[in-house]
Amino acid sequence: MTDLAGWLRGWGPAVSMASRNLRRNRVRTVLAVLGVCIGVLAVAALGIFGNVLALGADDAIGDIGTQVVVSPNADAGVESLSDADVASVRRAVGEPAVIPLYSDSATIARQGDQTFATVYGIEEPALAYEAAEGRLPERHRQGAILGAGVAEDLGAGAGDTVEIAGSQVRVIAVLVESQTFSPVAPDDAVFLPESAFSADGYAQMLVIADSGPAASTAATAIRETVNAREDRVDLFEVAAIVDEINEFFGLLSTFLLGLGAISLVVAGVSILNVMLMSTVERRQEIGVMRAVGVGRRDVLRVLLAEAGLIGAAGAAAGTALTVLLVAGLVLATPAVDTALVLDPTNGYYLLLALGFGVGVGLVSGAYPAWKAANERPVEALRN
Amino acid sequence: MSESAADDARADASGAETAVGSSNVDRPRGEYGVELDGVVKRYPSGGGEPVVALDDVDFAVRPGEFVAVVGPSGSGKSTLLNVLGLLDDPTAGRRLLAGTDVTNLSVAERTRARKESIGFVFQDFHLLPTLSAVENVAMPTAFDPGDASGRAADLLTRFGLGDRLDHEPNELSGGQKQRVAIARALINEPAVLLADEPTGNLDTETGEAILAEFERVKSEGVAVVAVTHDPLVEEYADRVVDLTDGVMTGGLPAGADGEPHDRADARGDG
Repeated sequence: MTDLAGWLRGWGPAVSMASRNLRRNRVRTVLAVLGVCIGVLAVAALGIFGNVLALGADDAIGDIGTQVVVSPNADAGVESLSDADVASVRRAVGEPAVIPLYSDSATIARQGDQTFATVYGIEEPALAYEAAEGRLPERHRQGAILGAGVAEDLGAGAGDTVEIAGSQVRVIAVLVESQTFSPVAPDDAVFLPESAFSADGYAQMLVIADSGPAASTAATAIRETVNAREDRVDLFEVAAIVDEINEFFGLLSTFLLGLGAISLVVAGVSILNVMLMSTVERRQEIGVMRAVGVGRRDVLRVLLAEAGLIGAAGAAAGTALTVLLVAGLVLATPAVDTALVLDPTNGYYLLLALGFGVGVGLVSGAYPAWKAANERPVEALRN
Repeated sequence: MSESAADDARADASGAETAVGSSNVDRPRGEYGVELDGVVKRYPSGGGEPVVALDDVDFAVRPGEFVAVVGPSGSGKSTLLNVLGLLDDPTAGRRLLAGTDVTNLSVAERTRARKESIGFVFQDFHLLPTLSAVENVAMPTAFDPGDASGRAADLLTRFGLGDRLDHEPNELSGGQKQRVAIARALINEPAVLLADEPTGNLDTETGEAILAEFERVKSEGVAVVAVTHDPLVEEYADRVVDLTDGVMTGGLPAGADGEPHDRADARGDG
């Protein structure tokens, strides 16, 4: 406890002496700070750039990463999915919801407007979709649920009546417009109760998981059990695509950060150079400090504080500059989505760059400081 | 001997500085401010014979005594000061500081001992240019708990620099700088003050003023050792010790170890 207090107290005079030493050669200090500033700017700006790209891509892909679409494998002669298939898929995936779908297509009409749509038979629509209008029933017994696109085409809302393949059906809900692309595209579909279909088997199953990784696990489980002996089903696994896309953007971000880091390393070398020069110039002074009884640790502190101050000043300036740069970019380029730029994860890159700036200062200062603090005062004092 | 006896003896010495140096009372060894006992310092030289900078040196300074060490350049005077000042370790022999054996200390212990018991005064003053006079004086304690700037200001005022407390070294004259350096050396009330050519960069008048300060310092019971070429310093010293080619003559005060040396003897050897 007292050790910690003593340790902290020593930094006060160290930082004070360090800042005066830095003011002795202002030009050199400012140039070193500028180096760190540019390095931090590069890391922060490129990091945020990569992150905004990745966020934008995520946004475009939406949340379909949690879906696996299971279809009968026609190549193996499987035309439709039986109740047994549904049961075995349920067993395989465990937690995630499994929603079997009948499928057909039909002309949908209302007051002279008509459109061609896929018609799905679904028992539990609430597990997979959300209603923009009306309410999705726990069990779909009667009425039609319209996809957002169909509803718009027909100008229909909940409570209206539409004609589906010749029969009048009341619309009980309209779905939220989906951001996804999937073989089961709800926007251009109509969902009817299963009882409206007289088919022998299901055309598809949706497996809805909580997360991308859970969807991948489910898909793997289906491959290993349902498809264990023969490939009964085809899987369309969006998560795999999302993974690949994320991997690509991850790689891109890392690459951009790497580019930025190079400039930060250069800045580190310049701090190293400045600190080495200044400790050589001040060799006698450091020797005097040691001679009159200032400990190695305290000399080390003064010199580390100098390097740390250069790093911190450069990092602060670089971070501020990055914020200005990004703000300017957003204002100047309407195409950039402001919400993406303001995403909290971008703050992480700012903090990362800030930390790197200070860290580079300390790391680069460590060797000169250690060297100077450990020089024997009798050598340092020799003229 | 008990510690209190030693303390009493020291108090005697500091209280009656006129007696110091000429006293022939047989004092216990532990009472010296600083003492070297058969100290040898050898430096390795490129492949050949090692250079002997100090050859079996016996040296002791009483509290309140001002000793000048003279000798030609390269005779080992700087080495002597470095060994006395715990900046360098002897190759052989014993080194005592205020009665404590400090021959073999770790780096941290040596640093601590320097801070607490030794003051340095250099020919080039060696003040830190970024610090004010007060800060330079307080510098040895800058990283310690407590604020020594009050004490530093008192010391500077005593040395006639009360109106220069916040001046930086480049705003001070040579004599003023050396006074700041002496104040810095005294900030921790050392047992020993070591001076390396303290008047080397000063004109005669300023040099005398500085030596007068040394008189005052020694009157407070500090053992003062000055390495010098300056005859003026020899005049002010209680004892002049000669060091030639690492061999010291007159290193022990008169009356010590039954080898009486008075000033005339020491000078005669030089």
